[in-house]
Amino acid sequence: MTIAPEKLAQYDEYVEALDLLDEESRFEYIIDIGKRADKTPFPAECMDDAHLMHGCMSKVWIVHDPNGDSHIFRGQSDAIIVKGLVSMMTGSFSGLTSEELAEVTLDHVRGLNLGALTMQRQVGMMAMLKHMQKLSQRSDRTAETLRAAD
Amino acid sequence: MNELAQSSGFSGHNVEGGFDVDRVRQDFPILGRQVHGKPLVYFDSGASAQKPRAVIDAMTEVLEAQYTNVHRGAHYLSQTLTDRYEGVREKIAAFLNAPSENEIVITRNTTEAINLVAATYGRKFLNKGDGVLISDMEHHANIVPWQLLRDEIGIELKVAPIDDRGVLDMDAYAALLDGNTKLVAMTHCSNVLGTMLPGKEIVRLAHERGIPVLLDGSQAVVHSAVDVQDLNADFYVFTGHKLYGPTAIGVLYGKADLLAQMPPYQGGGDMIATVTYEKTTYQEPPYRFEAGTPPIVEAIGLGAAIDYVSAIGMDAIAAHEKALLAYATERLTAMPDIRLFGSAPEKAAILSFVQDGIHPFDTAATLDRAGVAVRVGQHCAEPLMARLGVDGTVRASLAMYNTSGEIDTMITALERARSLFG
Repeated sequence: MTIAPEKLAQYDEYVEALDLLDEESRFEYIIDIGKRADKTPFPAECMDDAHLMHGCMSKVWIVHDPNGDSHIFRGQSDAIIVKGLVSMMTGSFSGLTSEELAEVTLDHVRGLNLGALTMQRQVGMMAMLKHMQKLSQRSDRTAETLRAAD
Repeated sequence: MNELAQSSGFSGHNVEGGFDVDRVRQDFPILGRQVHGKPLVYFDSGASAQKPRAVIDAMTEVLEAQYTNVHRGAHYLSQTLTDRYEGVREKIAAFLNAPSENEIVITRNTTEAINLVAATYGRKFLNKGDGVLISDMEHHANIVPWQLLRDEIGIELKVAPIDDRGVLDMDAYAALLDGNTKLVAMTHCSNVLGTMLPGKEIVRLAHERGIPVLLDGSQAVVHSAVDVQDLNADFYVFTGHKLYGPTAIGVLYGKADLLAQMPPYQGGGDMIATVTYEKTTYQEPPYRFEAGTPPIVEAIGLGAAIDYVSAIGMDAIAAHEKALLAYATERLTAMPDIRLFGSAPEKAAILSFVQDGIHPFDTAATLDRAGVAVRVGQHCAEPLMARLGVDGTVRASLAMYNTSGEIDTMITALERARSLFG
């Protein structure tokens, strides 16, 4: 299956914006996204171990809300750059079904063209994606179980 | 110029007693490159140091013209390379002022050297309830091997505290030596705070109670001259790659009488005297602890690194780094938003800090944009981070090839981080 193009509008917007910038400006662009993310408060009670992705350099929390068949994510980090990156990931891939999320690959992450800028491996953007995929699949299974119980 | 200097690739940087950092820098090819369009400022030597041309050339020469296995071939190449490889053991012994090259065991790194002592000395001489005393500023490499031993035979892991400057509390240390302590295993220089520990005094106090001491010299050998006889340490360990040598080679110095009593670490070729299905006998130290084909090319590289630093002189390197540390400390302390950790009177050129209100990762990423390579995080020392009350720090670890101008570059980048994230 392929993901409907309109569902990746936010992702495409990031790709186009970053494409126009030089590397130094991309760095500042991510910081801006991180700072703007602070204006939408992340629930303090969700900054707990249950929502924590373990990383060595900074903490990342991801909250997941099912919305019908699709999945909404919000992300938070104690480092602003990482907050910018997790916001890009949750913004890009919220609203997809778990099947669609499973279609998102390393190529999509590479498509953002952040390259060495973000120390991708240390920040773990792929780990963020895998975490979101896992949360969506777990949520689907729970919904399935509840439907069966009805 | 002396013979050692000529054979080391070192071309007289301190000919008149001075230290010419510009000439030293020319010996490190990587320092000529750029990162993000800026000259590389390498402040991550505490994680792994860059390599001088002499090391690169020595390893290339072996691979191109001299390579074979050592210790076994009855042919020209094997005999000449075995001589060269064993010559490195002598260089290491001389570098540490060890009485004999037979007290030098080649390992993969410091971590393996400590695991070797824990697995051999520890299993043979330590019993349930015995204490192993470490400090509150150890690298995980000097914590986890003892925890494995604790889980296996029930030793107790004891921790000597430090004060807020990062100085070992010697009264508390002495008190902790009493009771069940049967081994001290302690860093000689903190990889996070730069604190140089009083190794000689640590050993003296332990020996008064008949307790042997292992010192982890991973950082110490890089920043100062080390004399294991003067320290009187029973075991001294370090790794090659922080000393401008290659990765995958480390050193365990052990006193001959202790090594002689220790069982093998791993079994295999090279460490045996005779093998039958019924019974195998083992080589004498150090070969007893070196199973399998050793890191031949890496050993040659480490030998070249030792020649290189020896020709410049550890005292000259230490003096240069001391001046750099003083300058960096002055510049960082003058910044109101910098919190510097570690202010021991005896300190190597390692600076751990955070910027108030800015996550260390954001600071480090901004430094990276300026071409400044630092480490960020917990530096394999989580318990120390807990003691300092932080999740992590930025660590600038300086080396002989760094300059005050590079420190200025870092300060400018820190000011930019303040404007970006403040």
